[in-house]
Amino acid sequence: MRLLAALGVLLAPLGVSAAAAQRPVARQLAGRVPAGVVVAVTALADSAAARGLPVDPLVEKAIEGGAKGASPERIVVAVQTVLTRLGRAQVALQAATPGVPPADAVEAGAFALSAGLQDANVQEVARACGPQCSAAEALRVAGTLTALGVPPAEVVELVRQTLRAGGKERDLLALPGRVEAELAGGSTPAQAAAGLARAAAARAAAPGQSGAPPHGRPPPRHP
Amino acid sequence: MTTVLHPLVKRFLDGELRLADLPPELHAEARAAERLLGAVDRAPVTLPAALEARVMAEVRQRVIAPSARRWWHRLAEPWEIRLRLRPWILGPALAAAAVLVLILARSQPPVPPVAVAAAPESVYVRFVLYAPGAHRVSVAGTFNQWDATTAPLAPAGAAGVWATTVALPVGQHQYAFLVDGRRWVNDPAAPMVDDGFGRRNSVVAVTAGAAGARAL
Amino acid sequence: MLAGDTEQYAELVHRYRDRYARFATRMLGSVDEAEDAVQDAFIRAFEQLRQCRDPDNFAGWFFLILRNRCLAERRRVARAGPGTDAVVVLATEQADGPLVQEERRRALQQALLGLTPEQREVFVLKHVEDLSYEEIAGRLGATIPSLKMRMHRAYDRLRERLKDVL
Repeated sequence: MRLLAALGVLLAPLGVSAAAAQRPVARQLAGRVPAGVVVAVTALADSAAARGLPVDPLVEKAIEGGAKGASPERIVVAVQTVLTRLGRAQVALQAATPGVPPADAVEAGAFALSAGLQDANVQEVARACGPQCSAAEALRVAGTLTALGVPPAEVVELVRQTLRAGGKERDLLALPGRVEAELAGGSTPAQAAAGLARAAAARAAAPGQSGAPPHGRPPPRHP
Repeated sequence: MTTVLHPLVKRFLDGELRLADLPPELHAEARAAERLLGAVDRAPVTLPAALEARVMAEVRQRVIAPSARRWWHRLAEPWEIRLRLRPWILGPALAAAAVLVLILARSQPPVPPVAVAAAPESVYVRFVLYAPGAHRVSVAGTFNQWDATTAPLAPAGAAGVWATTVALPVGQHQYAFLVDGRRWVNDPAAPMVDDGFGRRNSVVAVTAGAAGARAL
Repeated sequence: MLAGDTEQYAELVHRYRDRYARFATRMLGSVDEAEDAVQDAFIRAFEQLRQCRDPDNFAGWFFLILRNRCLAERRRVARAGPGTDAVVVLATEQADGPLVQEERRRALQQALLGLTPEQREVFVLKHVEDLSYEEIAGRLGATIPSLKMRMHRAYDRLRERLKDVL
């Protein structure tokens, strides 16, 4: 509870008061997390809103913590972590393309960070996307590839090459399944992603050629 | 004091050099490092025979249920695609986890042949869990605010199999199964991310349109 | 055999159930986790039987599926951050009896979990499974110099973690 108390002291300038109990965030959390957590998360949500960050992920994480029986301190730390990632994703997206990044892209960027990508990777994926695809979808796919064990550099390269080869959103969405198929065949995640990236690059270099892209993974080895 | 082993000592550990091949001043370091290898546990490991039965139970389930692509080609609207079945049997106690995704036509009438109607921007997802010995199972996630009471699974088909169908909004969701109200279980064979509470969440993404449906 | 012949698959499962159990146990740190990994690998292997390019080499192909499963699990644990695997630090000046030996084995196993998955894999294949660098290179599709580099880094890390124990 010391953490909650400390958080209350730090967040006092944000004007959190008893009236917080009537706000939408507090209403969503009421009865699902301890009262102290309601206050702390409401303050964090206010901070997020002030920075133009989506609030829903914070509320969801707090509710999840309550459902899983996590301690109040742990819930607040988890929510703080989500807020930090949202902020990092926002900065990365702003560096990639001008303008205010859409909320779903920021959320997707935070997801990608939680999976293990770095800020620079988020920026690279968003930049590779351009206007032809949804940065949110590209980042969700990138995060999922990372969760499958593909190293960040290979994730970025695979997404970049797929888009460069004229890939549409459905081609991006198909990438995790294709990587998993390669994994089942014996490739490492890095090998699987690198092979698919090479195949996409080959398609981009020779447009109009038909036929299945070449397999990039090595054959199974003998023991 | 440096903690990096001398390159010659490393080659000694590799078995390329004998102790006598090393300069005398490296002998002590080599003997100390050799104790490291002496602590290696080379005892053979025997897994429980019950593992075979569990594997074959799952394998026979797969054979009974047709694969995704055969369904895709066989059925007219409304059609189903089973994109992934990843059963997981967690230890001798209970739970194995699987997500079975059945995608029903979103934009085409008539209403899909299930009791629950889906909103235009949502997709039916069928969750299947192999949990022999469980008394109650539910699925919770971002799509139902982690409320385990809203999506209970019911016994379905073969013994130990639990299932339910949920209308999920288009988008990406994180989820886990709750077994007997106390044990969170997910599918380690599916992409997972840390949940921030010392556990993991499974990840599923559903997109609009049958052809784009994915269980990631 | 392959795809569709479930009862012949039962024979494969029986034959290879323990073949790589030790490898999985040393990679993951416990027999329970190894059991889960082997089980999952068998099921994946059945799902992907059509992709087995060399049906006569089910063992090697199955090993790669299991290996990927173990690496993915260890990477997940590594991403969970420090503290997930506590380091067992022992201070013992006792004689080299069986109890001490057992504690040293446990300490090394714990220290192994502190290596990167790739470092642990090479160490386990060479010093637990007694494969040569050439055999490991053939199995993993890696070069011998890269394997040695991973191994030598593993030696240094293990020595650092266990210098007060061994």
